Amino acid sequence: MALLSEVKKDYGKLKNYVNGEWIDSTSDKVIDIENPSTGEIIGKVPMSAADETKAAIEAAHEAWWAWRETPPITRGRVFFKLKELIEQHFENVARIMVQEQGKTIDEARGETRRTIENVEVAAGIPSLMMGYGLEDGGAEGIDEDAVISPLGVFGAICPFNFPAMIPYWFWPYAVASGNTYIIKPSSQVPITQNYLTKLVEQAGFPPGVLNIVNGSHEVSDTLMEHPKVKGISFVGSSPVAKYIYKHSAEYGKRVQAQGGAKNSLVVMPDCVLDRTVSNMLASYYGCAGQRCLAGSNLVAIGDIAEPLLKKWVEASKKIRMGYGLDESVNMGPVVSAKAKKKVLEYIDSAEHDGAKILLDGRKAKVPGYEKGHFVGTTVIDQVTPDMKVAKEEIFGPVVTYLRMDSMDDALDFIHSSPFGNAASVYTSSGKTAREFRYKCQCGNIGINVGVVAAMAYFPFAGYKDSFFGDLHGQGQDAIKFFTDRKVVITRWF
Amino acid sequence: MVECDFPECTTFGSVIRFALELEKGAVGVYDELSKEPKAAAAAESFKALAAAHKKRGELLEFTRQQKLNEMILEPIQDMIREAYIIDTRTPKGVDVKAAAKFAAKIEETSAKFYLDAAKIAKNLMAEAARIMDKLGKESLANKAKLEAL
Repeated sequence: MALLSEVKKDYGKLKNYVNGEWIDSTSDKVIDIENPSTGEIIGKVPMSAADETKAAIEAAHEAWWAWRETPPITRGRVFFKLKELIEQHFENVARIMVQEQGKTIDEARGETRRTIENVEVAAGIPSLMMGYGLEDGGAEGIDEDAVISPLGVFGAICPFNFPAMIPYWFWPYAVASGNTYIIKPSSQVPITQNYLTKLVEQAGFPPGVLNIVNGSHEVSDTLMEHPKVKGISFVGSSPVAKYIYKHSAEYGKRVQAQGGAKNSLVVMPDCVLDRTVSNMLASYYGCAGQRCLAGSNLVAIGDIAEPLLKKWVEASKKIRMGYGLDESVNMGPVVSAKAKKKVLEYIDSAEHDGAKILLDGRKAKVPGYEKGHFVGTTVIDQVTPDMKVAKEEIFGPVVTYLRMDSMDDALDFIHSSPFGNAASVYTSSGKTAREFRYKCQCGNIGINVGVVAAMAYFPFAGYKDSFFGDLHGQGQDAIKFFTDRKVVITRWF
Repeated sequence: MVECDFPECTTFGSVIRFALELEKGAVGVYDELSKEPKAAAAAESFKALAAAHKKRGELLEFTRQQKLNEMILEPIQDMIREAYIIDTRTPKGVDVKAAAKFAAKIEETSAKFYLDAAKIAKNLMAEAARIMDKLGKESLANKAKLEAL
């Protein structure tokens, strides 16, 4: 099968987008953007300085009031235009993601669709941000209303695993509800956001309403500390999420900081085995395991353990690995050499701790892509709850297989984790499923579903160390995060 | 002859790609058959079928863009590519009967592909399954029409 064509071989040095203009960063510091499948350098991203970030914040602040006064239905119309533009550029957006992140083209198309869905939901802003009121709510002849108002400038600090979608969990809701915005894309995968922002520009958003500042800690710290920034959205690892939460809060910001995960998929003896295996493959190996919703621990209950393991290993062996622009590939590489090293160290540690490596992806190679950061599907059996691989986030295509006697044992194990992002149960019993969803203390619960990815009109975040904050990303939660309620009590003499 | 590049059917995207190649191949074959002097009596029918297959390709492109999400990223492991490859080497100098027989074989293979794909897609996404099923049934109907020529 021929590869789909790349959009470009070299994207050059990226610019920042500030106040409606594409401008070169003044910083001399740049880092390479690598295609993780081929090892080729496909662009460079500047590490912008604090002053550049401050200029973007000032531009966003300047743009805010006029945008806030723009009627919600007019703001929504610009999002309809943006939706159409992303539809037209759908395939390019997806292919750029494959190039810079390594995911497969199907995964990238799925992510592009999710990105558009967030734009579609935000376009309905007149209904989403309506307030409420009560005649005679204050007393006889005194009416009381709550109006929903935007707050000003917000910012997002974004991760590498979903280059298109994750910024769109936040900024469309912020901007549609009348705020202005600054995105700091991941410095590992900034090209997709750069491309999408060219579409934002074409859609007709006024200058300063959405800004992109490329960079690293200096940009993040400036966003968190600047008095004109009202809130920060973040997605990344738990230690960083915790830091972002604390640091931003010290500066009086609203914060929603999504952290890491260690998700368990629990398989009951009464599961529909073939469908269960097929569905779980997408969870453990999709995006090469680099999803905060990826399965990591596979917990087999009772006597399903042996038949499930046999089928699981057989199916895992058949996963085709390669460059995601080959449409028949099921799994791409992990994002970088550093990420690969970390995943391999986890597999080594499991071996050292006495677990059994049934399928070993450490030495996997893809012919023609020797410089790619590929890790093959890996299944580790005889894992116990105290092992490092059962407790920590691996972020690679590694399945840690545990055996337990009952669902309650599995729930105790899930609850012993500091994370609480997602958990799933596979069963044909409604009673078991109901018990699982009722008892399980995680933010996203799957019943015979391994990737519990909330749609744009539902909130998304985890529990415990998987999320620091209260209002989640997407949907109504996002609108609440980016607005405040103002009560107006009215009496006419 | 139309060059087609049929992938292994291991992902939803590659199944759609395979289907697009089938449609491209069918359009090419019908175009060539419509220009065959000895089969001139069926030229309009072949032109209509070429147009219909072109439209099917557009429906598949739409399906890929609109229907794909993470829910249906399960690997596909039960479709053997070789069972569905069509012969796009359009014969030369054939009469209506022989031309229709050649094209009917393409429709038969396409129908098998789509109906098998529909069974698999049913477990992944009902909307995609419905489209595959529709295309499979259309191919069977096309085959019947061709056999009546």
